[in-house]
Amino acid sequence: MSTRAVTFTKQQIADYAQASGDHNPIHLDDDFAKTVGLPGVIAHGLLQMGLMATTAAEAAGGPDRLRRLHCRFSGMVVPGDTVTFTAEPVGPGKLELRAVNQRGEPVLTKSIAEYLE
Amino acid sequence: MSGKVEAGAAGVAGRTYPPVTFQIEPGRVAAFARAIGADPEAGVPPTFAAVYSLGVTGPQLFGDPDAAVDFARLLHAEQEFTWTRHPRPGESVSSQGHVASDVSRRGMRFVSFETETTDSAGEPLCRSRALFVIRS
Repeated sequence: MSTRAVTFTKQQIADYAQASGDHNPIHLDDDFAKTVGLPGVIAHGLLQMGLMATTAAEAAGGPDRLRRLHCRFSGMVVPGDTVTFTAEPVGPGKLELRAVNQRGEPVLTKSIAEYLE
Repeated sequence: MSGKVEAGAAGVAGRTYPPVTFQIEPGRVAAFARAIGADPEAGVPPTFAAVYSLGVTGPQLFGDPDAAVDFARLLHAEQEFTWTRHPRPGESVSSQGHVASDVSRRGMRFVSFETETTDSAGEPLCRSRALFVIRS
């Protein structure tokens, strides 16, 4: 089993926006985020998935082995949240993926990885 | 609640956008790897598909006036990537987006958007399946 805890920051979210090219202001501008009913900026689902993939790759024996990743983005992640990412083997070439915040609430659910053994 | 499809809300189901080519630039790969806590020397991170696959075709959907996606009300609900192989830094790839379904119910619109990415020889690399929810 591989596990890692990450505390999200505005800088990290901005770095992901820059590297990914996803500049939706809900990830970058608190005032804008509030106008669409959010508490402030939120992390990209794909940033959560990227961090989840890094943990899954560790459990799979390397990123090149990953053949399928599926994530459901179930909870918002805001700067200051600490999310624990866990990849647990559940069968040949299969990992169950979990991401849970500091309150024990799942932020990624029904998430799995498949890999070449 | 009936859950029926609202009249006139068939949206853009079935629409396919023109393929887009993308050069996988090594510096950008390294920056992406650092942003997700991966080793920047370990090749193209799997979820860099968020850039070379979904990232290049998504804007075609979001910019399509017929699709009328309100970006500010868009939530990314689910994402799946499947890989035949992972691309290498420096490689040129081609991605084509397709709206698999577009359904409105209970004031929410659900758009399933698929992207096929192939290498320069036309061999499959990656398939992305995104589910977007647009709040009304």
